[in-house]
Amino acid sequence: MTKIKLLIVDDEIEFASTLAERMELRGIETQIANNGQEALEKVYFSPPDLVILDLKMPDMDGLEVLQGIKALHPSIEVIMLTGHGSTASGIEGMEKGAFDYLMKPVDLNDLLEKLKLAYEKHSKA
Amino acid sequence: MNIIQRVITSILPADPERVTEELFRKKRYKRFRYSLFWAMNLIGLIPMLLTASLGFFQYRDLLQRDELDQLQWNMEGAQKTIEAFVHELQAVVNFVAHEDRYHELLDQQNLQILFDRLHKQYPGFVDLGVIDSKGIQQAYVGPYNLQGKDYSHQEWFSEVFAKKVFISNVVMGFRQTPHFAIKVVKKIPGTNEHWVLRATINAETLYHFIETINTQASDDIFIVNHDGILQTPSLFYGKILTPYPLTAQPPPNGQIRQMIDSFGKLIHQASVPLKNTPWVLVLTNKGYSYGNHWYSFRQKLFFIFAGCSIVGLLITIKLSKILTERIRESDEKRHALLTEAEHTHKLASIGRLAAGVAHEINNPLAIIDQKAGLIQDILEFGGDFDNKDKVTASLLGIHNGVNRCKVITHRLLGFARRMDFCEEQVQINEVLKEVLPFLEKEAMYNHIKFNLNLQENIPVFYSDQGQLQQIFLNIINNALDAIGHDGEITITSQVEGDSVVVGIQDNGPGIPEEILQHIFEPFFTTKETGKGTGLGLSITYGLVKKLGGTIQATSKLGEGAFFEVHFPLSL
Repeated sequence: MTKIKLLIVDDEIEFASTLAERMELRGIETQIANNGQEALEKVYFSPPDLVILDLKMPDMDGLEVLQGIKALHPSIEVIMLTGHGSTASGIEGMEKGAFDYLMKPVDLNDLLEKLKLAYEKHSKA
Repeated sequence: MNIIQRVITSILPADPERVTEELFRKKRYKRFRYSLFWAMNLIGLIPMLLTASLGFFQYRDLLQRDELDQLQWNMEGAQKTIEAFVHELQAVVNFVAHEDRYHELLDQQNLQILFDRLHKQYPGFVDLGVIDSKGIQQAYVGPYNLQGKDYSHQEWFSEVFAKKVFISNVVMGFRQTPHFAIKVVKKIPGTNEHWVLRATINAETLYHFIETINTQASDDIFIVNHDGILQTPSLFYGKILTPYPLTAQPPPNGQIRQMIDSFGKLIHQASVPLKNTPWVLVLTNKGYSYGNHWYSFRQKLFFIFAGCSIVGLLITIKLSKILTERIRESDEKRHALLTEAEHTHKLASIGRLAAGVAHEINNPLAIIDQKAGLIQDILEFGGDFDNKDKVTASLLGIHNGVNRCKVITHRLLGFARRMDFCEEQVQINEVLKEVLPFLEKEAMYNHIKFNLNLQENIPVFYSDQGQLQQIFLNIINNALDAIGHDGEITITSQVEGDSVVVGIQDNGPGIPEEILQHIFEPFFTTKETGKGTGLGLSITYGLVKKLGGTIQATSKLGEGAFFEVHFPLSL
C-alpha cells in the first residue's frame, strides 16, 4: 500500500506543522503550505492525494485556492476547515468541489475518518 | 458566589437613584394633572361666569327699569285721579258759594238746606260755614257748635284772600277727627269786602278714595303735606297726621327717588305735588330685590350655575385623570420600547463581540489541541518513562479543557452567525413532541413530570423547524435545570389572535427580578461556574427574534418561572 500524500494549508504555522507531525506519525506523507500561493505551487510541483484547507487565510480566500487545486488536479480531494463556524461557506465549498468540511478546532479522529473516506474516493477516481 | 450575590441584592433596597426618579416622575404627572384640571376648569368656568353675570345684571336692569316705569305710570294715573277728585270737590264748593248768595247763606235755614243737599251727594262733607271779611263765622251747619268763631288769627285766613280757593292740610282741629277744609273767597256784592265759604271734609273721604286707586306697581300710596305730615295713613310709614320719616318732595328733575327707608330697606319712591293743594302724592315700592320675580330668577340662576359648575368639575376631574393616565401609559410604552430597543442593540453588539472573541480564540485553541495531541501521539508511539501516567492524565485534562472551550466558541459563533432561514410548514405541536424525547430521560432521572396541554388544530405556519426545536430545547432544558429534582413542567400551546403561543411553566424556585432583567443577555448565568455558558437563553432570544416572534419571561420567587413565546401565524 502506497503512502497517502497529504497537503495541509493553514496560515497558522504552529497548527499546520503540529498537525503535519501527527499525520506523519500515522504514516501519512504530509507537506505544509502557509498560504494560498504556496499551496498552489506545491500542488503544481508535487501533487498530493488529499488537501486539508483552511478557508480563512490572509493572502487568498480558501475558496479560490480550492478552485485553483481543482483546476490543476480535479482528482485531488479537499477537506475544508472552517474557522468561523459558518455552515454557509462550508456548503459553498462543497458546491465548488470540496469533499467535506470540518469546524475548527477539529478532533483528530474525525479528521482521520474523513481523510480515509476521501482517500477511498480518490483511489477510485 | 451567585447565592451570596442573590442574598445581597435581596437585602439591599432598590437602587436609590431609580427610586427618586420614579418619585419625580409620579410628581410630574400629578402636577400635570393638576394644571390640566385647573386649565380646563378655567376654560369652562370663566365663560359660564361671564354669561351668568351678564344675565344677572341685564335682568336686574330690565326688572328695575320696568319697575320704575310702572311706578311712574302708576303715579301719573293716581295723580290725575286724585286731582280730578279734589277739583270736583272744589268745583262743588265754588259753585255753591255763588257771589250773590252771601246774604242768603247767612240764614241758618238756607245753609242747612244747602248742606243737606251737599251731604247727600258727598257724604264726606262734615260741616259748612260762612265767614265774613273780619274772620267771624256768621253761619254754621255741622255737628259742632262753631257759630261766631273767630278765624281772623288763623294763618289760612290771610292766605285765602290771595288765592280765592284754598285747600287746607288735614288737621284734627276742634273737631277731633282728621279733616281738611275747602275755602272759597267771594266778593260781597256792592262792597269791596269778601266773604268765605268754608266746607270741611272728612279726611276719610280722601283716604277711601285713594284706596280705590289701582296700585299694582306700588306697595304703598299716601299723601303727605309740604311739612312732611301724613295726610292719609300709610301702610308702612305711620298713621294719619304723623310725620312721614322720609323726604316726600320729588327731586328737582322729577325722577323717582331710590332710598333706604326707616326699616333699612331699599325702596323706590315716586312723588308729585298735587295741583291746587298743599299735598304731595307719594307712591313707594320696595324695589326689585324684594320681588318674587327677582327671587326666583336668582334662585334659578344660582342652581343652574352651581349645577353646571359641579358637573363641569366632575367632568374635568375625570377628564384630566383619563388624559394624564393616557399620557403616562404612552410614556411608559415608549420607555419600554426604548428599553427593548436598547436591549436588542446591546444583545446584538455583545453577540458581535462574542463572535469576534470566539474567532480569535479558536486558532490558538486549535494549536493547543494539536500540540497536546502530538504529545499524546509521541507518548503512545514512544517507550515508558517516569510519571508517564501523570503526563497522560494531564494531557487528557488539556484535551477536556479544550473541548469545553470548543463548545463555548461554537455556541458563541452559532449565536452570532446569521443562519440561512430554512422555511417550511411547521406544526407547533409536532415540534414540541419531537423535542421532548431528547429531555425525557433526564426528566425521568430527576423525577420531573411533563404536563402537556396542547390545543388541537393549530394551523401550520411557515418557520424553521430546526430553530424552533432549538428554542424549545433551550427553554425546557433551562426549566429542568431550574427545578433540579422533583417537579413538573407544564407546556401549553394555543392560538391567540393571529399568533401561536407556547407557554412553558416550571415549578422551580423562580427568578428574582434583578436577574429576570438579564436572563436574555449572553454570558449571564446563575449556574455554577463551568456548568453553563450563559448563552442558552440569549441564543434562544436571538432565534425567536429571527423567526419574527417574541419571548417573555415572568416569574415569582417560590412559584417558578413562566416563559411565553409568540410566533405570528402569517409572516
